[in-house]
Amino acid sequence: MLSVSDLTISFDDNQVLEGFNLVLESGDIFALLGDSGSGKSSALRFIAGLESAQSGAVVLDGNDLSSNGTHQMRPEQREIGMVFQDYALFPHMTVFQNICFGINELSKENKVKKVSELLQLICLDGIEEKYPHQLSGGEQQRVCLARSLATSPKLLLLDEPFSSLDKSHRDQLVKEVREILKKEGVTSILVTHDQNEAENFADKIGQIDKKQLRIN
Amino acid sequence: MDRFCFKSNIWIALLALIVATPIFVVASAWLLPGGELWAHFAQTLLTDLVISTVILLLGVGLGVSVLGTILAYLVVMVEFPGRRWLEWALFLPFAIPAYVLAFVYLGVFDYSGYAQVWMRETLGLPGFDIRAGHWAIILTFILVFYPYVYMMARASFKRQKIHMIEAGKMLGASPIRVFWKISVPLARPAIAAGLLVTLMETLADFGVVSLFNYSTFTTAIYSAWGDFRSIEVAAQLASLLVLVAFFLIYFERRARGKAKYYSTDVSHIRPYTANGWIGWLLFAFVFSVFMLSFAMPILQIIIWSVDVFAKEWSGKYTSFFASTAILTLSAAVLTVTVATVLALPSRCKNQSKILQMLIHLSTLGYALPGSVMAVGLMYGVQNISLVSGYLGGSSLNHFLFGSIALLLFAYVSRFMAIAYNSTSASSEQIKPVFEQSARLLGASRFRLIWQVYLPMMTPGIMAGALLVAVDVMKELPATYLLRPFGWDTLAIRVYELSAEGLFERAAVPALMMVIFGAVLMLAFNKLDSSRL
Repeated sequence: MLSVSDLTISFDDNQVLEGFNLVLESGDIFALLGDSGSGKSSALRFIAGLESAQSGAVVLDGNDLSSNGTHQMRPEQREIGMVFQDYALFPHMTVFQNICFGINELSKENKVKKVSELLQLICLDGIEEKYPHQLSGGEQQRVCLARSLATSPKLLLLDEPFSSLDKSHRDQLVKEVREILKKEGVTSILVTHDQNEAENFADKIGQIDKKQLRIN
Repeated sequence: MDRFCFKSNIWIALLALIVATPIFVVASAWLLPGGELWAHFAQTLLTDLVISTVILLLGVGLGVSVLGTILAYLVVMVEFPGRRWLEWALFLPFAIPAYVLAFVYLGVFDYSGYAQVWMRETLGLPGFDIRAGHWAIILTFILVFYPYVYMMARASFKRQKIHMIEAGKMLGASPIRVFWKISVPLARPAIAAGLLVTLMETLADFGVVSLFNYSTFTTAIYSAWGDFRSIEVAAQLASLLVLVAFFLIYFERRARGKAKYYSTDVSHIRPYTANGWIGWLLFAFVFSVFMLSFAMPILQIIIWSVDVFAKEWSGKYTSFFASTAILTLSAAVLTVTVATVLALPSRCKNQSKILQMLIHLSTLGYALPGSVMAVGLMYGVQNISLVSGYLGGSSLNHFLFGSIALLLFAYVSRFMAIAYNSTSASSEQIKPVFEQSARLLGASRFRLIWQVYLPMMTPGIMAGALLVAVDVMKELPATYLLRPFGWDTLAIRVYELSAEGLFERAAVPALMMVIFGAVLMLAFNKLDSSRL
């Protein structure tokens, strides 16, 4: 279970979020809607441990990750996965190496097995040896998802992952990713500014309006 | 700043401070006596020095900017006969030490050189003094240093989005207007970076200015130290050079601005094709630069070498070559290793303005003439030994003077700018999102550096190492003063022979250096083409 409480974020005297509270049950898929600059990505990055805040606490499965706006656990210790807007696949590594990056401790055999399962899950079997630049935008984003899922995260954060794709690919991928996350039972938060995308993706939708989160 | 960042920044700051030691030693000269001699220098020489140095910098700066930018634009944007091989051939002048080009030009165009003899006797033209005025030395510097601007501008033009040029064409702009209004403004940061390196090299040069009898700060520093035996005044003058370099870096940063001018994509489409006589005219222009800056001087060196080869060649050359190769390679590896540590992407580093300033300070050694660097280091070691003796310890002189360690340290400090520019350029292209995703995937700082940063920075690291290697191979004054006994390099052999006026015999080691340098430059070019 995830609980975010009393999160307040300001940039240079400009307060964007005030008293943001959110509780998600295990397996929930949540979409966070908001205009540009509304602080939705900052909220996500605070949960990931990548940015600090003026106040706010995060508890995930009983572990205190952050409190009073500062972090108790570093991003690498949180067991949280993240899919970024601009893919962030390591360009010098193959798809196989990218997916294995977070599961370095597994034996070679287990890695091969895991990668093959994940590629099947994202319907991209047989591309293990390809490099990111040989893939389309949609394919790169699915590999990114596979890389995040490989570590079996307790929570998956998706920061506008579909925004650089064209509409027809986007709608298709939104459905596919939702199915994958449901199948794996991963608690997820999607940040987006597209109402349609939020509706197609999430079980619950929240909107940032006047610095506050309103759950629809 | 958290504790982790504080610790990590302290280590990097310490490293930058160590590299910048010679700068501090030179600056500390203002604390020492030497007032009367300084007053004498200031009254009698300083104004002339400043004027001649400024004229030299303006002439060379303008020349390399115009020539380097035009050449880069032509080979990237225009298809013309011979473009493909001229594109890499224009890098080759890097392999020629500036003083070698200077002695070849002096040997040919001096009053008794065969070019002037022929002009006087056959054409009946009056003789002239190539050393008089500013134009000959400025032209020589332009021919040696234009590749710095060419290299940077070429990389920038290659990264310009083709759509912007096409948009300019569709709006009816002529090729020249597109060049002036779109391409050059977009490449401005790269041109400024190339210009900065050129001006710092010009400031630090000793070989060319002394061969041309041209007074600059460097020659005054030699005079203060050699004629007046005042290490203090030499260091005081040198610290003015560092100050000038500091301002140059500041202006370069300002020229660069905050805007991001390039995409990371490289285009291989050439928007213009020059056919017919215009194509051949462009070829003639680019080819003549290549001839003047590389082919003709090399031909002259080869002719001289062939004449005296039997007399000059001996087994000693194996040892000269071995010393050159060992020093070059170890200095390149060491410099680029330190530069990589300083340039690694780090969110902690971004939080500290002081640390960023210290890192810039560690690159200022490039403006110090090699001799000043050497004297500064000897002076520093001597002072440490005095302090150590005072505290009851032993002197460091006997194992640091004439040791490889001190010489390598001088190289690292002197050429840090070259290595750092290259490694930091590749580090700046690593988006923060890579660090963030690696950390969220559980990677430790060590793994992040080893598996993500270093592989992504490899092209920049390799390019930096090759450029440092070429510079170390050509380096003369610091090597001359600090080398261990029996470690004569090819550069020292060239200097010793040319100082005695034996230009033809000096051509033999010069040719070996040029071949070694050309091999390094070709490796650099191959690496660069795979990146661009």
